[in-house]
Amino acid sequence: MVYLALATGFALILLGLYGAITRRNLLRLIVGFTVADTGTHLVMVSVGYLPGRTAPILGAAVPPEVAALRIIDPVPQALVLTAIVIGLGVTALMLAYAWRIYATRGTLDISRLRQLKW
Amino acid sequence: MVSAISIIAIGLGAAFLLGLMREGREALAHALTVLALGAMSAVAVGWLWLLGPGGAAVQEITTAGTMPPFAINLRVGLTEAVALVMITLAGLASALHMRAVLLRMGRRAMAVLLIAVMALAGIVMTRDLFNLFVFFELAAISTGGMVLLSDDEDALGAGFKYMIVAQIVSILLLIGIIFAYHATGSLNIDDMGGLAAMGGGAALAVFLVVAALVLETKPFPANGWALDIYQAAHPGFSAILSAGTGTAALIAVDKFAGAGGAALAPVLTGLGLLTFVAANLLGLAQTNDRRLLGYSSVAQTGLILAVIGQREALGESYLLIAGGLLVGHAIAKAGLFWLSGLVKGRDLTDWATLRRSPLLVFAMATFLAMLLGLPPFPGFYAKWALVHGLVASGGGALVALVLIGALIEAGYLLRWFGFTMKREASEAVASTPAELALVLAVALAGWGAGWIWGEVGPYENLLRAPALLLALAFLLLDWLPARVKNVAAIAALIGGFAASFASYDPLQMIFAAIIMPGGAVILLASFYEHGRRVGFYPSAMLMFAGMAMLIVAQSSFGFFAAWEVLTVGSYFLILRGKYSEPHALSYVLFSLGGAFAIMAGFALASGGMANFTMAALAQVPLTLAPWVFILLALGFMTKTAAIGLHIWLPGAHAEAETDVSPMVSGILLKAGLFGLMVLMLQMGSPSLYGVKLTYVLLWIGALTALIGNLIAAFQEDAKRLLAYSSIGQMGYAIFGIALMNHLGWLMALMFVINHYIYKSMLFLSVGGVAKRTGTRLMYKMGGLIALMPLSFIAVLIGIIAMSGVPPLSGFGGRWIFYNAIMESDARAPMIVIFLSGPIAFLYLFRLIHSIFLGQLKDENRRLREAPFWIVLPQMLYTAFLLVFAVVPGLALRRVDGYLSTIFPEHGLNWDGLTIRSDYGYWSPVSVMAVTVGIFASVLLLLVLLNHRAQKVKQFNIVYSAERPFRPETTHFAWNFFAPYRKALGFLLAPLATTFWDGVTGSLHGAADFLRRFYTGDGQHYAYHVLGFVLVLILIVGGGL
Repeated sequence: MVYLALATGFALILLGLYGAITRRNLLRLIVGFTVADTGTHLVMVSVGYLPGRTAPILGAAVPPEVAALRIIDPVPQALVLTAIVIGLGVTALMLAYAWRIYATRGTLDISRLRQLKW
Repeated sequence: MVSAISIIAIGLGAAFLLGLMREGREALAHALTVLALGAMSAVAVGWLWLLGPGGAAVQEITTAGTMPPFAINLRVGLTEAVALVMITLAGLASALHMRAVLLRMGRRAMAVLLIAVMALAGIVMTRDLFNLFVFFELAAISTGGMVLLSDDEDALGAGFKYMIVAQIVSILLLIGIIFAYHATGSLNIDDMGGLAAMGGGAALAVFLVVAALVLETKPFPANGWALDIYQAAHPGFSAILSAGTGTAALIAVDKFAGAGGAALAPVLTGLGLLTFVAANLLGLAQTNDRRLLGYSSVAQTGLILAVIGQREALGESYLLIAGGLLVGHAIAKAGLFWLSGLVKGRDLTDWATLRRSPLLVFAMATFLAMLLGLPPFPGFYAKWALVHGLVASGGGALVALVLIGALIEAGYLLRWFGFTMKREASEAVASTPAELALVLAVALAGWGAGWIWGEVGPYENLLRAPALLLALAFLLLDWLPARVKNVAAIAALIGGFAASFASYDPLQMIFAAIIMPGGAVILLASFYEHGRRVGFYPSAMLMFAGMAMLIVAQSSFGFFAAWEVLTVGSYFLILRGKYSEPHALSYVLFSLGGAFAIMAGFALASGGMANFTMAALAQVPLTLAPWVFILLALGFMTKTAAIGLHIWLPGAHAEAETDVSPMVSGILLKAGLFGLMVLMLQMGSPSLYGVKLTYVLLWIGALTALIGNLIAAFQEDAKRLLAYSSIGQMGYAIFGIALMNHLGWLMALMFVINHYIYKSMLFLSVGGVAKRTGTRLMYKMGGLIALMPLSFIAVLIGIIAMSGVPPLSGFGGRWIFYNAIMESDARAPMIVIFLSGPIAFLYLFRLIHSIFLGQLKDENRRLREAPFWIVLPQMLYTAFLLVFAVVPGLALRRVDGYLSTIFPEHGLNWDGLTIRSDYGYWSPVSVMAVTVGIFASVLLLLVLLNHRAQKVKQFNIVYSAERPFRPETTHFAWNFFAPYRKALGFLLAPLATTFWDGVTGSLHGAADFLRRFYTGDGQHYAYHVLGFVLVLILIVGGGL
């Protein structure tokens, strides 16, 4: 189960990156990165997952005394949440760039942004 | 002291506050931004003060009241404090610099700037790996935002390419972090020491994190995106990017390097040096100033990455080196980017507009010197310590790479400086006083950093050297009229000589005499110049200071520092000539190349020890001695322009100003001779594979003399003739020293004085004639004897002295020389050097014949004698030559006595006014009497016989009915030695020129070809990054 999630995560990363470096359209490229980001998040969660344990929410079901043995390490999950938020910010900025590029250049084709080179 | 975390808090808080403000209050928002950045800088500076001079302990800052690893902790040590100061100050200065654009873009842009600075500070301080990731992402997002501040439309594309790469890096980093956490159960970097050794996922974690962090330092070849950003972003932001982001990324690598273990070191070193050399090479082909700065930034970051890789090997000096390179680079690059904001055009030649403001030129020179690691800036100490550290740990090949890269960098940076000083200047820079003040403040910060590095390092603080300070004082005097400064300069030289007169040994005394009083005599000619002559005196005094420091240097460091100082001063001096842009560049590149050889030689000799006395050269182990000797001799011979390394000299000396030519020829060339003498004094003559190295030098000297003299004979340009003649003359001097006997050295030392006198004199008289006639081509002169009699006398006396015919001191030199040769058994080079003697007559004859004798040109009929101040030193030299000819004992006897302590055998015997050697005697007074007697009688005879001679008028010439296509070709003085050229022309093939042209040509070709790798396509850049990671995996493989 964990390995499946891990493999899926890596597959998504590769798939996303493949999309990002083969699609010429800025929007598709951004989608590619979003897919890769999702893959990354999946990898992070699956690395932190321990089979047979429960969510790290302390309360009636999981009293604090036994928590260390019964819950999943909460740190990777916290990291994933942060990463998702940051990923959102980056995606938003890239979309803003795509919009500005389309507004000034009238194109979404990345191969036409080659004015700066060498 | 306020906690350092307030840097982050203030940045974040002010950014939020900006978000709450109403639209339309931009000025207030900007004031708030500046205030916040000022507060952040103040905290950073405060901590630096506490941790540095205050000696406070490293500060651990824990968050949430919990100890790590359960909460994030931040750390501020000395390294972090230095980086924080650079980042916050860069932010503050950029906010001021970008005021106009920030006001236009509004408060959101200001908030983004604050976030950028805050994020970079966070990268520096945090000890938590995930926190590091967050700050990196914040920095990336705010960078993406700040790029949009630019007026350049291409910035959009550049920003998007940057985001693509940032995405890939963040994926690598995240996966790396989670595996690192999985392996160690902690996110704290301090818990990850030796992580690489834990195997499995841990190795992958280390690899991914390292790859991501290294990618942030913009390694070659995965750095096309960075160059586009540098080129397109607003220069105010590029300054932050170069000074701040680069610093933060390097600090991050440095933090995590411990986790990578020993296997990481060679990888970082390799990547760093590859980037350093490649980026500098590609920089050669750039014409856009900001892209050039980008290449240079990438290169410098690579160098520091390599230093991080060598951390263990460098030991104690690691901080001095890495810090020196980092601080020097940050200040210089920020300053240059801000300067580029003042220049309108983007071509390198557009920087000529800076020339209208001497203060801006001073700032630019400061920044370039900092980048190149010239004294007295931090990079200089760092470069010296780095080369020594690498040699100590057996990294000789690394030294070679570092020096090659640095030389290429010097090539494009100084070419750029040449453009600035020499190209057509459009209208003046439109800079506000605030912008000017900012750039100047940064330049002064560079000098301040130089002072600090001098103080904290294990070496002498160059900014405490009196000679250097005296020279720098002339920078402050530069607003005075030239004549006032000239008086001050002469007083400084004479005063300097008087102050140290008593402490010189005879060898030093000879050199000191021509440097200081000799320099003062040449400076008399400078009274001719009117106006302010901005820049002349600081440069000249820098050169003299370097020479004065060189001859008294006790340690290898002091010697090398003096060598660089005199190189820098003379470069600025030579660059002043009207057409000397390319020649000054080739001069300084040869000199820097030579300086690098000298530095490598010293490092090899000392085995990497920081404090190595010159005298200890004598104790270098036999296995190393020949290599040390070769490196040092090579370095010194770039200055004396030995054959093969000579191609810079003719242009540099000929195109220099009238009073500069004698300085660089008569005085500066002697620096190389002094070096060679010290070298042989200490090391004697080591052998390599059974060949005595001084024997090789004999050949070099002989060939230099032959070829130099021969080329001189075929020159049409009088100053070039003198320049080539200097090459030949220095060949004689090298030959003399390489004989390694008493008389050889005596002749070389006598030559030091003689060459100074007659070369200074000839350059001044030829310069005076050129000033009057408006040309340096000899066939356009002729018949000037009656119009310029004093110049004629000076040239006549000069060439008599130089050719070594009786009765002047040149004859004495010849006499000693022939005696010296008789003691040596190196027959073959001796024949060559004998051959070159008569050739000297050929070109000397031309000077007198083509310039002063023959028919006067019609357009020259109204010429007057050369200006008084140019003639005056010539007359002094003439008088001195005549006196020195009669009583050479004046100086020679003391020197002879001194040389007896080194070479006890075959000295001279002093018998009243007669001097005896083993082979004969020389009586200067009788030689003078006999010569004058013969001359007078022949003259009398000729006057008697020729009193009825018929004078041929100038236009008494017939062209057989045709007007020549190029009239000058019919002039008798044109191509004067055509028959000799036919016979010996094959020796003139410009082999050296062709060779060096080939070297620079192929470097440029390679640069232009290789840079096409950066296609400008964002997806190609993504391939580069992914390919970089894959190749890195293959290389590192099982290592981690």
